[in-house]
Amino acid sequence: MKRPSITLWLSLVFAVAAATVLLGVGHFLRQSVEDHFAHGDAEELSGKLELIRHLLVKVRSTAELDAVPQQLEDALVGHADLSVLLRDSRRRIWFAAGGADFPVALLQAAAAQPRAWQQGPRLFRGLAAAVPTGIAGEPPFTLAIALDTTYHGEFLDKFHDALWVALAVGALLMAVAGWGAAYRGLAPLRRMAVVARNVSANRLTDRLPLDRAPAELTELGAAFNDMLGRLEDSFRRLSDFSSDLAHELRTPISNLMTQTQVALSRTRSAEEYREVLYSNLEEYERLARMIADMLFLAQADHGLAVPHKEPVDLAAEVRQLIEFYEPLAEEGGVKLICLGGGVAPGDRIMIRRAIGNLLSNAIRFTPRGCAVSVTLEQGAEAVVTTVENPGPEIPPEHLPRIFDRFHRVDPSRHKSSDGAGLGLAITRSIIEAHGGVIQVSSGHGKTRFEFSLPRKTGGGGHDEAKGDGAASASRHRFLETG
Amino acid sequence: MKILIVEDEPKTGDYLRQGLSEAGFVTDLVRDGVDGLHQALHESYDLIVLDVMLPSLDGWRVLQSIRGAGKEMPILFLTARDGVNDRVKGLESGADDYLVKPFAFSELLARVRTLLRRGARTHEPDTLRVADLEVDLRRRRVMRGGRRIDLTAKEFALLELLTRRRGEVLPRSLIASQVWDMNFDSDSNVVEVAIRRLRAKVDDDFEPRLIRTVRGMGYVLEAEDAPR
Repeated sequence: MKRPSITLWLSLVFAVAAATVLLGVGHFLRQSVEDHFAHGDAEELSGKLELIRHLLVKVRSTAELDAVPQQLEDALVGHADLSVLLRDSRRRIWFAAGGADFPVALLQAAAAQPRAWQQGPRLFRGLAAAVPTGIAGEPPFTLAIALDTTYHGEFLDKFHDALWVALAVGALLMAVAGWGAAYRGLAPLRRMAVVARNVSANRLTDRLPLDRAPAELTELGAAFNDMLGRLEDSFRRLSDFSSDLAHELRTPISNLMTQTQVALSRTRSAEEYREVLYSNLEEYERLARMIADMLFLAQADHGLAVPHKEPVDLAAEVRQLIEFYEPLAEEGGVKLICLGGGVAPGDRIMIRRAIGNLLSNAIRFTPRGCAVSVTLEQGAEAVVTTVENPGPEIPPEHLPRIFDRFHRVDPSRHKSSDGAGLGLAITRSIIEAHGGVIQVSSGHGKTRFEFSLPRKTGGGGHDEAKGDGAASASRHRFLETG
Repeated sequence: MKILIVEDEPKTGDYLRQGLSEAGFVTDLVRDGVDGLHQALHESYDLIVLDVMLPSLDGWRVLQSIRGAGKEMPILFLTARDGVNDRVKGLESGADDYLVKPFAFSELLARVRTLLRRGARTHEPDTLRVADLEVDLRRRRVMRGGRRIDLTAKEFALLELLTRRRGEVLPRSLIASQVWDMNFDSDSNVVEVAIRRLRAKVDDDFEPRLIRTVRGMGYVLEAEDAPR
C-alpha cells in the first residue's frame, strides 16, 4: 500500500493537534466560566436566603407575620431577576415574586444546594430551605429563591460559537503551517529528485549539493552521491569495455575479410588457397579464445559460485606451473624460483590459472639472465602469494587499470601473440571469486603482483562467487591419458 | 567405426560429417532430436556426437532416452554455453564428454578418438616404435637410429603422448592438459616451445622428420611424410 504523502500527513497532524488543544482549552475555559457563574449565583442566593431567614426569625407573632410580604417587597426592589416563594407548613403562600415556577421536588427537598432548571426560553437556578420563624409552636416555613440566569446561558452559547470558530480557524491555520513546514522541510528532497531525474547513462556527473542539505539528509545525500560515483565508474568501465571489445573484434574480422577477398579476386593455386585458410584459422583461434575468456569473465561478474572448494597446496601448484613454463623461460634465459608454501581452500584449476597468468606475464617482461620469483607466505588469516620480476617498470598511471579488460600498458604490443589482454582481468576475477585481494606495484626496476587468499572458507564473503574455470577445466579432466 | 551426428545447425552438421568422414569414420547425420533418438536406438553406433539445443526433442532428453534404453556407446555432447549447470546436467544424464562451441575440429577429433579408445583399451607393448624411433615405456628410455636420446621427464611424457597417438593430430590444449595437467587455455606458446625443444633432440639430426606441425591444428607424430 502506498503511504500518504509526508506533507499531507504533517498538515493533518498539525490540524488535529491544534484542534485538540483548542478544544481542551475551550472546554476548560467554559467549565471555569460555568463554575464561576454557579458560584456567584449560589453566593447571591444564599445571601438573599440569609436575609429573609433573618427577617423571619425576628417575627414573634402572627400579626408581625402579616407585615412580612411588604418587608420582602421592599427588600427585593431592584432585583427583577430574583424570584421568591415563601409558604408555611400548610402550604399557604405568604409571598411570591418573580417569574420562576419552582419545581415541586425543589420545594419538598428544601435542599440547600442550588439547582438549575429550564422554563420555556428561560433558565433558572434556585434553592429552597426550611426557615423557622420566631413564633412559638409554628413549624418552619419553606422559602425558595431563584435567579434568572438566562443571560449566563446566552453568554455560554456565544462562547461556544466563538470557540468553534476559533477551533476551525486555528486548525486550518495549523494545517497550512504544517503544510508549509513540510513543504519547506522537504525541499532538499525535491532537489535530490531533480538530480536523480536527470541521471542517465550519459549524465552521471551531477552530484547533490550537500553543503545546503539539512543534517538529517546529509547521510542520504552522501550515500546517493557515492552511488552515483560507483555507477559512473562502472558505466565508464563498461563503455570503455564495449568499445575495446568492438575494437578487438574488428581487427581479426577485418583481417579475415581482406584476406578472403584478396584471395578470391583471382584464381590461385591450391597452395595459395591453403595458405589463406591457415591464416584464417589463426584468426579464428584468436577470436575463439577471446570469446571463451570473455564468457569466463562474464560468468565471474555474474557471481557464479566457485564450484569445487578443496585445500589447495599452493607450492605444489606453483611447482607444476614452473614445470610447464620452464621451456618458455629457458628460451628467454629466465630462471623461475619458488619460495615458501601455503594451503588455501579453493578451486585448484582456477587458482592455477590465476597464478599461471601472472607467471607467464612475468616471464614475458623479464630480461635475459634474470629470475622470476614466486613467494608464498602462510599468515594467520590468509596465504599471500607474490610474483616478482625485474624488468621495465609499469608507469604509475597504468597501475590502477592494469587489471581492466583489454588494458595494455603498451598499445603497440597489440598484435603480439600474448593474447587479448584479458589474462590479468581473469586473474583478478578468480582471486576475488575466492574472497581474496590482488595488488600490483612497480618500482626500483621491479614489478610485483601480490594476492592473498583467505584460509577460511567463506571468509571473504565471496563464497557465492564466480567463475567457470572448473567447467572449461573439467572438460579436459575426463580425457584420460591413452 | 560408425558415428552418429545429431546437429540441427546446417553448416556445423555438414562440416562435422565431412570432417569425421575424411578422418576415416562412417558417419550418419540427423538434424533433430526425434530422428536422432530413433537412429540411436535402431542402428548400431560406436559413438554419438549430440548437440544440446535441438528442435523437437532436446539433447538432454535424447541422452536420457538412449541411456534409458540400455545403450552404452560413448556420447560427446556439444553445447553453446559454457555453464557449470550444462556440464553437470550433461554428465549426470550420462554423457561421456562435452565440448563448448566454438571448438576446434582437431579438438573434437582428438576427443572422439579418446572416447573410442576408452572402450577398447588394448594392451600396449612396452616399447613403441615409429620408423627408427623406439620409446621404451617401462625403462623410460628413448632410442633413435640406435642412439640413446636423453630427455627430461616432461619431454618424455610429451613424446610418449605423441607416440601413443601417432598419426593423430593433437591440439595444443590437449597436449597441455595431458602432459602438464594445465586444464585451461594458456595464452602463451609454451607447447610450441616444448615441441621445438623435443624436436631438436629427437628429430633434428635424423631422417625422416617424425614430429610435424599441422598449422592451426596441432602436432602429429608419424613416419610417412604425407601432406594433409
